[in-house]
Amino acid sequence: MRKQRFIALLSATALVTGIIVSIPVAANAAPACDGKSPVQTCVGLTSDGAPYMMMVPANFGGTVALYSHGYRYNIDIPAGIPLIGGYKVTNTPEPVPGGNSAVAQYLFSQGIAVVGSGFARQGWNPDSAIATDVELIGVFKAQFPATTKVIAWGSSLGAVITQGLAEKHPELISAAAPMCLADNVPAELTMAGDFLWGLKVLFDPTIKAGNYSAGAAGNAEAYGDLIKVFTVMGKLQASLTTNAWPDTSSPTGKALAAGGVPPRSALLLLGLMAGLPTQSAHFDSISGPAGALKLSFPLAISPALAILENGTNAAALAILATQDVELQAGGAIFDNTKTDYAARIDNERVVFNAALSGNTVIDALLGAISPANPGAPRAVGSAAAIAKMNALHSNSGKINVPTILMTGVADPITPAGASQRVVDAYAEQFAKEKMAAFAAYKSTKTYVAPVNKLLMLWNTTPGKGYTTFDAAGSPITSTPAATGTNHCNFSTAQLLVVAKSLVSTSATGKLPSGGAIVTAGRKAGNLVLDPEFHAPLLKYYNQ
Amino acid sequence: MKAMNRRKLFSVSAVLAAASLVATAIPANAAEVGVTASEIKLGMTLPMTGTASLGYNKIPGAAKAYFDYLNANGGVNGRKITLIVKDDQYVPTQAVTKTNELILKDKVMALLAPLGTANVKAVASSVNPAKRGVPVLFVNTGFSGFADVKKYPTTYSILPSYIMEAKIMGKYIAENLSGKKVGLLYQDDDFGSDALAGFKAAGTNFTVKVPYASGSQSAATAAGWITKFKAAEVDVVILFGVTSASLYMLATAAALKYSPQWMIDSVGGDSTTLKLAGVPAGVLYNAIGFSPVPATTDLTDEYVKLFSDIYAKAVPGSAFDLNVLLGMNSAFMTAQALKAAGQNPTRKSLMAVLNTKGSTLFNSALSPVGYTGTSHVGLTGEWVGKYSPTGDLLPIGGIYTTYTTDSGAGAVVKSTYKRPAMPAKGLTN
Repeated sequence: MRKQRFIALLSATALVTGIIVSIPVAANAAPACDGKSPVQTCVGLTSDGAPYMMMVPANFGGTVALYSHGYRYNIDIPAGIPLIGGYKVTNTPEPVPGGNSAVAQYLFSQGIAVVGSGFARQGWNPDSAIATDVELIGVFKAQFPATTKVIAWGSSLGAVITQGLAEKHPELISAAAPMCLADNVPAELTMAGDFLWGLKVLFDPTIKAGNYSAGAAGNAEAYGDLIKVFTVMGKLQASLTTNAWPDTSSPTGKALAAGGVPPRSALLLLGLMAGLPTQSAHFDSISGPAGALKLSFPLAISPALAILENGTNAAALAILATQDVELQAGGAIFDNTKTDYAARIDNERVVFNAALSGNTVIDALLGAISPANPGAPRAVGSAAAIAKMNALHSNSGKINVPTILMTGVADPITPAGASQRVVDAYAEQFAKEKMAAFAAYKSTKTYVAPVNKLLMLWNTTPGKGYTTFDAAGSPITSTPAATGTNHCNFSTAQLLVVAKSLVSTSATGKLPSGGAIVTAGRKAGNLVLDPEFHAPLLKYYNQ
Repeated sequence: MKAMNRRKLFSVSAVLAAASLVATAIPANAAEVGVTASEIKLGMTLPMTGTASLGYNKIPGAAKAYFDYLNANGGVNGRKITLIVKDDQYVPTQAVTKTNELILKDKVMALLAPLGTANVKAVASSVNPAKRGVPVLFVNTGFSGFADVKKYPTTYSILPSYIMEAKIMGKYIAENLSGKKVGLLYQDDDFGSDALAGFKAAGTNFTVKVPYASGSQSAATAAGWITKFKAAEVDVVILFGVTSASLYMLATAAALKYSPQWMIDSVGGDSTTLKLAGVPAGVLYNAIGFSPVPATTDLTDEYVKLFSDIYAKAVPGSAFDLNVLLGMNSAFMTAQALKAAGQNPTRKSLMAVLNTKGSTLFNSALSPVGYTGTSHVGLTGEWVGKYSPTGDLLPIGGIYTTYTTDSGAGAVVKSTYKRPAMPAKGLTN
């Protein structure tokens, strides 16, 4: 079949998300396939009840791409809650990122099948999800015995699952691509917990910020926190023009207000101490409107607006993921009794000094959130629950198979530092492999150089700035999020760079390198391979 | 998998060795980033526009003027120096972006004279020139921390540290203004922290200290500062900030007819810039000032004479001032270091020169730089002067008395340093 006709046929079908095949009710039963051409779709349930979908092109060449989807909330969200209200827990299978038909078409055109499950359990689930993926690989191979290679890829929490699969079962896959990789659960929820705790102690002491009750009562507490946090964020947005602290502020917050501390500086400090990026969907911390605010906007205001945007985006996950992991761990998992927030921002207090309103204000804020202030009580976690959380699946960062990482440098939910940790770990691993090769040379007299197994694609923000302003000089926030910002905000072109790299790597055993991948990254837009770029690690690692 | 046996390795090495012998004879085929057979590319970020650019935006033109002069006289070992300049507006995040462009897109060999403590720190943490092995030459900030080789191994200070300057100011106050009520205006960041540490070391007591957040300076905020100093009835006001802070303070003071004894730091006290921006010479008259380099009006100084001639031809109509002199001085030192770095200079050989011979490089300042393998401290002294009736900073009594100290607990003493004679025509190539 000629390629053009093949693609046309695919376009005529309701691809990926539109296909409806009855899923067998019995777990672990053989998949039900529709037998259609050019793409056959099969569905079924794994032994743990995870629904899955396989899509196999007629020209299947033996390689299948296994996709692991990202975090889905583990509880329904009432309709009245802003931004995420109306969400229903779902385990719909997702065999390609976001059901992206262009990506699926590309893979099918290469004779590659796609497969993915919806996992049996939502929320933080790598332990069960890795097992589901392992089983799914077996199911696929049993159904399609011509299978020779498995490519694994995933986004966000799905990237954790993908990396976990590559670490635990490298024998099952030929290449991996964790995209917008989340870090291990203690690091992720420390970031979330620090920010939530800060909002609570300064802006609204009625926010629970963890230690949620079990069952429906805990759900209600989490819903309440979502509403309160979104409300506080709205008030903080308004405060940028009024300089007034939210009326819900704590006595500590009110004392800071009376001392002339701008609320925007307080918000920025919370974001910095948690490790949130200071560039967001619409605020680059670089650009200013023409006129008097040309310099002062990026210097003093934009970083706080970026934290406002990023914090609002991250808040829902912070609350709901904390509640979910607490349920799994059996108690409060956030504990900042020993956290030195001053040390956390040692560098940032200089870089963002103007936006933080100078050392005097910074010191006042740090004093306000210090353990010495009884008005800002630290959160005390349950040792047993923390131990259980720490025992949940975690990735070491060991690279066993050729791996492609791609992440946005200003992702507010899965910070670029999570990928940086893997890059750093692999640098050590590669150095050891080199040493081993030198050692082997002494005895064999033949030097066999280790082969690089990691390609890092940084999705950068537009270098020249991207905040835009209307005629009155107000920032515009209705435009699409800038590249490199927001969570897993990848274009189809960028996803295709990863898909194509995975395909070639799987076929040759070698990662793409040199000018070709550099050019591909540039053409896809803002994908940079700079080996010396260094994203800040999550603050958890600097404690 | 690549396999290479020992014999092949040796034969390749022999070929490479032979090639390198040939390469040392001609400047072609240099492998270092930013260095070709005919050119060495350097990059600079600093505020060219915006509030904080006042005066500092002349530094690139000054450096270029010297490099053009050098290039016209043969360059460095036959290579011309090209300086690429990017405007960071004194915004740290902009400095990061622009520095990334210089390193990744423009592929410069080294960064030259970036300005501002926050900017240099932001670049150090986000762009990481140290990990990349990129030299950051002669940073235009007196923050003492940049002398720390362990923390900033590829960064070289040039200005005396703010701690040193504050200690020298403190000594002057103790010896000449004892009993006076002193007020301090300072930038409320590492710049000001250094100042406070220096004054503390000097034992200076303040009746009132007024911090301002970087970027907040304006005529309105200056009026508020003056209110505080007036309320405290201080006799002496020390301005320890950037030029724009001095400008707003002095211009507003003139309008409000507030006239204490002014004492102005070196980075915020360039008289030419202040006067051009509207500060009356009469306001500056009798203010106390400090500088590491000769007075810019002192045409008897061979560096000032040569550099002002070069600058006048390169940038006609632009006044020769402290920023110009410092910019040209940094370019002059860069040229010497590149020359000493070998026929085919590399980033490593350039930094090796600075670490081992940096303190012996010719330099227009009245004190040497303190580079060693364990410290990248910049110039180590300043002279004290007073502003003349025309608003120019001149040495007290017409004689340069340079004081030297360190950024620690060391005493402030008169320097015995005798500056070597300038190389002929200001060229060492």
